[in-house]
Amino acid sequence: MAKASFPKLAARPGVGERLIDALLSGRGIWPAVPAIVVLTVVAVIPFIVLLSLGFSDFVVSRGEIVSQTFSLDHLSNALSDSLYWTTFQRSLTLALSTTALCLIFGYPVAYLFLVGGRWTKRLILVLTIAPLLTSGIVRTYAWLVILGGRGVVNSTLAGMGLIDQPMRIMNTHWAVLIGMVQIHLPVMILPLIAVMSRHDGRLVEASENLGATRLGTLRTVILPLSVPGIGTGAALVFTLSYTTFVVPQILGGGNYLNAATMIYEQVVYSLEWSKGSVSSLILMLTCLVMLVAIALVTNHFTRWTRGSDA
Amino acid sequence: MMKGPSGPATTVASAAPVLRIGAVSKFFGTFKVLEDCTLDVAEGEIVTLLGPSGCGKTTLLRCIAGFWEANGGTIEIDGQHMFRVPVNRRPVGVVFQSYALFPHLTVARNVGYALRMRGLPRAEAKARVAEALDTVSLTGFEDRYPAQLSGGQQQRVAIARILVMEPRVLLLDEPFNALDAKLRGTMQVELRLLIKRLGLTSIFVTHDQEEALTMSDRIAVMRAGCIEQVAAPDEIFDRPATAYVADFIGTSNFWSARAEGGLVRLPDGQTASTVLKGEVRVMVRPHNLRLDAAGQGPWQGRVAFHRSVGPLVEYHVEIEGGMTLRVATMRQSANRPIRDDASVSIAVVDPALCAVYPG
Ligand SMILES: Nc1ncnc2c1ncn2[C@@H]1O[C@H](COP(=O)(O)OP(=O)(O)OP(=O)(O)O)[C@@H](O)[C@H]1O
Ligand SMILES: [Mg+2]
Repeated sequence: MAKASFPKLAARPGVGERLIDALLSGRGIWPAVPAIVVLTVVAVIPFIVLLSLGFSDFVVSRGEIVSQTFSLDHLSNALSDSLYWTTFQRSLTLALSTTALCLIFGYPVAYLFLVGGRWTKRLILVLTIAPLLTSGIVRTYAWLVILGGRGVVNSTLAGMGLIDQPMRIMNTHWAVLIGMVQIHLPVMILPLIAVMSRHDGRLVEASENLGATRLGTLRTVILPLSVPGIGTGAALVFTLSYTTFVVPQILGGGNYLNAATMIYEQVVYSLEWSKGSVSSLILMLTCLVMLVAIALVTNHFTRWTRGSDA
Repeated sequence: MMKGPSGPATTVASAAPVLRIGAVSKFFGTFKVLEDCTLDVAEGEIVTLLGPSGCGKTTLLRCIAGFWEANGGTIEIDGQHMFRVPVNRRPVGVVFQSYALFPHLTVARNVGYALRMRGLPRAEAKARVAEALDTVSLTGFEDRYPAQLSGGQQQRVAIARILVMEPRVLLLDEPFNALDAKLRGTMQVELRLLIKRLGLTSIFVTHDQEEALTMSDRIAVMRAGCIEQVAAPDEIFDRPATAYVADFIGTSNFWSARAEGGLVRLPDGQTASTVLKGEVRVMVRPHNLRLDAAGQGPWQGRVAFHRSVGPLVEYHVEIEGGMTLRVATMRQSANRPIRDDASVSIAVVDPALCAVYPG
């Protein structure tokens, strides 16, 4: 009797169900296939085409490439061109200083989130996320109003009699840096908050109970535990600000050349696709190197997280 | 504030108590979590806070440790007022329920944390860490991270971490919660012996009465933010000060009666003495009742159910008025347990051990 009723209880799943089950089992890469297909079509293939332009001489006739021969000329031209070196150096400096400043301004906010009360936490979350709800372009244009010759900063300083002439802030390195920090600050704060709220307040209490001062707790408990968040935030902010186009273009007034604006000019204005292709490749590879460096440093300081699978 | 007459086990050394909690109150908004809690803990004594979930045990502990400031009353350690003394200056060590070990530090660094924060020389710190780890039998685990330890080992690290700081008062908030029943049993005895050997003045929190009976020199039974009774385990068990305590600790039978002229008549014809008058409730423990053959006394009942619990046989006896009494007798090979459904007569073994409470 019991035997006969058993199959009814565990009905044999249909083909569709078994397929879905296999997909969800997590073996193989099947669940990621849709994303991989989309990325291949819209990103990988165009990228390969772009690369091929950077490593070949080609003749275009009526909008089509009619002949293409392999060449390393574009790459060697780029590497021997001092404009490239200064531009990439500028990009790197800008990205590194943006990352550092975002960390310096963002970390105290995340600390406040950790030690603050319920309302402090909510306020910080709202203030951090709210800017992300408007486009970066809009926020960048807002800086024009603030930093311009007759903008808020200049008119306030003039009103207080601190300056006679309006300061030239717009279209300078400083305008770009200010804009970059403001735009990217939330991207630094969010991972920091995420990693800090992962550990409950008990660790801070335990530390104080064991005789640590606030500073001691910050140095020996909070800071080491937030290293993964620092790593994530730094990687995100660095990538975004190293490859950014909008802020330098708008706040730099068209004469601030970083890697992205240079590529834009090469491709859109002077139609030198090969140059643009080589620049893109250099931008991507250097970015990757920096990301690996950040990951290595982060890993070095979070050896303890790997203890759990030892 | 009720205190039972002090028997030999409750005698407290005449020296001033290490920890004095005087009429401590704590509010969250308008919600009163602690109300006039008063408790003295003597040198080397283990006092357990016992009470149901949400009665304020953790809150009282956090006020002593300084994580929260009490809204009223005083907390003194060695005669020093703790009001406004920051957490890191209080001579109090806390073993958290979740252990709160630092996941990024090795066992040795976790245990040495307090010493490092005090800036002790490395060599001395190392020796004391080794000593503490030896005390909790964790020598050889120095370089592991907390995530690589079992629950019981983590707990011992948490204890060692507190031991090295040599606190005047040790606070333990349900330290056995995360352990399985068997390990819990052995750890209770081990921890009690360890604390006693080191002579640490401790407050231990639990909502498990057996744990409280195992661990404590005295038990403070809490109810909704108030301390109902503070006494030695035997005292609490044999002479619970209120009906609430009687009900909370162990199994108890209650019934209503009238007291007159300092006496309460028990249903089996005997009398118990009391200072109360009028409507009262009488409490008797299951092992203070005896079952006889039917018709041997005026108190009649019917066995509804019985079961053997180790060396005891526990009977559920239905009596007049639909009440069920719990009766426990020693199991003896000579007389087999009384069968279910049998009629019996019930008698109180020792009327002096009946407790009488206001009705
Ligand atoms: N931060 C807080 N804000 C408001 N109310 C709180 C807060 N913490 C605790 N309470 C309340 O205070 C009361 C006592 O809590 P407490 O944590 O001291 O209970 P407990 O006796 O330790 O219980 P348990 O055995 O479950 O740990 C509870 O009713 C709880 O809801
Ligand atoms: Mg609690």
